[in-house]
Formats: sequence, C-alpha cells, structure tokens
Amino acid sequence: MAATRHDRARLPDRDGWATDHDGVRVHWEVYGEAWSPTIVLLPSAPIVHSRQWKGQVPYLARHARVVTFDGRGNGRSDRPTRVAAYEQARIVGDVRRVLDATGTERAVLVGLCGDGVWPAIQLAASEPDRVLGIVAFAVGVPLLSPPHPWRIAHSFEEELPRYDGWATINRHAWRRDYEGFARFFFGAINTEPHSTKVVEDVVAWACEGSVDAMLADAEVDLGLAREDVEAIVRSVRCPMLLVHGTEDHCQPPSRAHRLAALTGAQLVVVEGADHMIPARHPILANLLIRDFVRSLEAAER
Amino acid sequence: MVATRSIAPPPDASRARHPDATGVIERDGVRIAWDRYGPAEPEDGRRTILLTPTWSIIHSRFWKAQIPYLARHYRVLTWDGRGNGRSDRPEDAAAYDDRQFVDDAMAVLDANATSSAVVVGLSMGAHWTLLLAADHAERVDGAVFIGMSLPLLAKAGSPRVTAEFFEERDTYEGWDRYNANAWRRDYDGFLDFFFAQCFTEPHSTKPIEDCVRWAHETDPETLIRTDLASGIDDRPTVDALAARVRCPVLVIHGTQDAVVGFRHGARFAELLGARLLAIEGGGHIPLARDPVAVNLALRSFVDSLPVRRP
Repeated sequence: MAATRHDRARLPDRDGWATDHDGVRVHWEVYGEAWSPTIVLLPSAPIVHSRQWKGQVPYLARHARVVTFDGRGNGRSDRPTRVAAYEQARIVGDVRRVLDATGTERAVLVGLCGDGVWPAIQLAASEPDRVLGIVAFAVGVPLLSPPHPWRIAHSFEEELPRYDGWATINRHAWRRDYEGFARFFFGAINTEPHSTKVVEDVVAWACEGSVDAMLADAEVDLGLAREDVEAIVRSVRCPMLLVHGTEDHCQPPSRAHRLAALTGAQLVVVEGADHMIPARHPILANLLIRDFVRSLEAAER
Repeated sequence: MVATRSIAPPPDASRARHPDATGVIERDGVRIAWDRYGPAEPEDGRRTILLTPTWSIIHSRFWKAQIPYLARHYRVLTWDGRGNGRSDRPEDAAAYDDRQFVDDAMAVLDANATSSAVVVGLSMGAHWTLLLAADHAERVDGAVFIGMSLPLLAKAGSPRVTAEFFEERDTYEGWDRYNANAWRRDYDGFLDFFFAQCFTEPHSTKPIEDCVRWAHETDPETLIRTDLASGIDDRPTVDALAARVRCPVLVIHGTQDAVVGFRHGARFAELLGARLLAIEGGGHIPLARDPVAVNLALRSFVDSLPVRRP
C-alpha cells in the first residue's frame, strides 16, 4: 500500500463559466452549496488564479457557501490581450457576472492586494445591495498612500541595462524571462521563514498565466485622482475588515491605516507578516474571515 | 474612531495540545521526564499509545504533529529520552544502552498505571520498540516502526567501528561528519548535514529548524556517549528478536530515506511479516513531513488491533 498525495482537500460542488458581452469567459467554482451566506474569494488576477485560496476553501466551505473564480488572464479563464479587456469596469463586471451565474444575490467579498481588494470596494460602492461585507488582505487600494519606494525605482516601459531585483518589474524583462520575474517578485514579497512552498505554488500559478495579459493589464489607466479614490472608499456602507502585515513588501501598511481612517473599518495588523497572509498564515486568515462573517450574521439578527 | 488590533503569536502558541499530566521517574539516579495526554487511568475501549524517543539528538517534541491528533482518539504517553529535553544527561555511556531505554519505557508505563500500549518508534526508537515487543510482549498491544534504523543490511551512513568514529581528520565532509571529533569541532556543521539527510523532501525548512533547535538542547559529549552505548548491534540479534515478536506490526518507511534506505524498512517488514506503508517521496522522518498520512496510518493500525484478552 502506498500513501497517495491529493492536490485538493476539497473539490467544488459545481463549476461553470460567466461570459461578458465580448465573449470573454471567466471560470467559477462553488463549494458548500447548501450553506449561507456566500463568501466570494476574489482572484489576484491576472498574475495568479483562484488556487491562491487553497488554504481557505476547505475550511470556509464547512461554514459558508464559497465561490471562487479565475480572473480573466489566468487559470481556466480566457486570456484576452486587449488593454480594454482589463479596464476596471470589466474586472468589477466579472465579479457581478459570477454572482449572477452562481445565483448569488449577495455575498461577503474577500480579496488580497490591489487586484482583489479594489474591485471588491468598487462593487460595494456601486452596488451596495450585493455586498454584505469585505475582508481586505494586504490592502491594495491605489493612491491612498505612496507605494514602497522600490516598487517605483525602475522604469516599467524602458529598456534597462540589467534586469534583476525590482527591475524585473519591466515589460522587456517579462518578455525575456517571465518566470525569472515571478521567482524574484514572489520571493521578495514572501520574506517570512519557511515560505518555500508558498513561493513555489505562486510562481507556478503565475507561469500558467499570460505575459500578454499581464502587459495589457499593466497598461490600463486608472483614470482617477487620489480624491476620487477616497470618495469611492468613503461611499462604501458595508462592514469591512482590513488585515495587513507589518512587513508587507508589496503594499505599504500605510494604505491599510489610511483606508481604516477613511472608512472606520476594523484593522488587524499582523506583526512580522509579509504580503500573502492567507497563504502563509492560513489559520489566522480563516478564523478572521469566519469571525467577520459571524459578526455580520449576528448584526442581522 | 479607528479600531485597530495588533496580532502577534502568543508566547505559548507553539503547542496545539498541552499534556494533561507531566511527571518524572527516576532510575539509578537518572531522572526521566514524561508527558501524558488523557486520563490518569486507562479507560475501556481507549488504547494507550506510547511514543518512544529516538536518538537523543532530539527530544519528544518531534512527535508534535502526532500528539494533537492521536490524543483526540487515544491516551498518549511520551518521554524525553535520556540525554535531551527535560530528562537527565548521565555521564557514562552505559547509561544509554538500549536496555536502559527499554526500562525507561516500562517505568513510564508503570508511572501511568498502564499495563500495555501500542508502541511507536522512529529510527533509533525501533531498537527499544523491538526489544519491548520481543521480550515484554505482555506490555505491547502492537508495534509501529517508522524509518527504523536497526542493523539489517550494510549501512551506507554511520560507521559502526569505534576507531572510525574517533578518527582524526583535517576536514570532515558528508557522512564523515558522523565522527566524535567532527561533532566537537563543528557541531552545527554536523547538524546541518545530518538533518538535511533526514529531510530530503522539498519545503522542509521548518522541521530542519526545529530539529537543529532541539539538538542544541543537548551537546556533542552526550551524543558521543549514546554512540558508545551498546544494544542491538548486529543482524543475528535483530533476527532473534524478530522471531519472538507476536504482536501486530506496522512498518512505515519513506521511499527517499537518505539515512536508512527504504530497502531496509522493506526487508524488516518482510522479516516480521508486517504490513509496509511506503511514503512515496518521504525521507527519514515522514511523521514530520507527511503527518497526515502517518497519523491516519497509525489510527487505522490501532483501530484494527484485536481486543486484548486479560
């Protein structure tokens, strides 16, 4: 007899695609169909896909109905390469279309970093009836505070003499050696000891994506000033829980503090944690999500 | 008003499960510290599992991924082997003979009013598990051997000749580091090498870090004494002991074990007519790197044991 290794602790109850008016298909999965409320785990796409939540799905699906989806540009979803396909309205639209396709009237939205958190906040601002609450890890709301200096130390567009370290966040470096970029980047934002598995996983997911999709996504113009972003976050009415590591090398903790100050959201600061708290500290992340969801239910009663 | 809370690991968060009782037995002036998870007295229908120590380079915390799970289903007893943890570090080599560990095991059972238990051993722990099963059958409901290090086949690794163990060299590389002088000169160098051999699986930084920390709770002189101690030293002794084992046996061995090759475990299972669980890709200490597979195997083995006749 031999012990077999299983890739997934929990398989989805059902899955399907949500399609936009351009025919771009986004793949979703539902776990724990019988439970309520629904928690939607947003992807940090297109750089990675829904497997980023592998430490959450099996636990949360024992307590709630869990919906995951692959963002356009990675996983089982389509990989359009037009810049317009990655505009914020399309990304937020994908969240709405997944809610519709899965028969989800309202949900708690959970996201990590800018690609997960910012769409959740925009949907809560524009369609408050559909969002019960938001859990934001590594709070990535653009412009709320300056980025880490190393994130803007090198040009993204120009050819550089060398591509190493943070200079790998560069369109030419991506074309030449995307995996090299991924190894550097995910190593640099997962600096806690014993993160080798997290880094290996996330690099592999990044390599399933598309450099063309990443480049298209990178060209999207936010089209907002800081005042506009602040006005959007102030208009959010649902409860929010913010979780940020003191050692986050991707998103500065100041963004979480600023968002908390603007919205009155509860902020949990995790001492010593880097960027990918749900992957590196799954028990902590899972209990925070569970307790937040329970607090919403208690408030409804 | 902003509600901010800061989360840092609580100081005592390193254990998922704390012992229900802890105690010390003393034999010939050597104090041995034990832990019990579960009630003072055995209960009907609830087996006791005795998790034996291994080589004194580490102590009973190496069972950390088994204890919380097993303690939900069984009574669990552990103790720190002489030479590490909260137990004494006697200064004569004879105090580390295999027989001493066997007598410690029985004293721990006695101190916990336990007439018999399922005995589980890792690596060196196989020596004491085998001696208990062969010569104290009334106390052993079943025996599990994980990464067993009994001298069955010629070993690639550690030298068994004392002269070799004390040989002076300019430098020590690879398995030559298994040497008294190498330990005295560069204990950390040996630990890094040895635990890298123990954990050949990817993503093993945490168990390696744990083991190195536990190894720092003892010292080279103590480990040299453990190596000079006597016990099961040859194949005929293993054969003779194995022939006397009557209880059910499970052998668990990693297919990539770089300390004691998988074929040793397979041969031992054959010798005992025991079931063999091969941990695919597993190293020498699969209980740390594949805890779920090992825990489930232990549970299904324990639950399959026949009811013991009084």
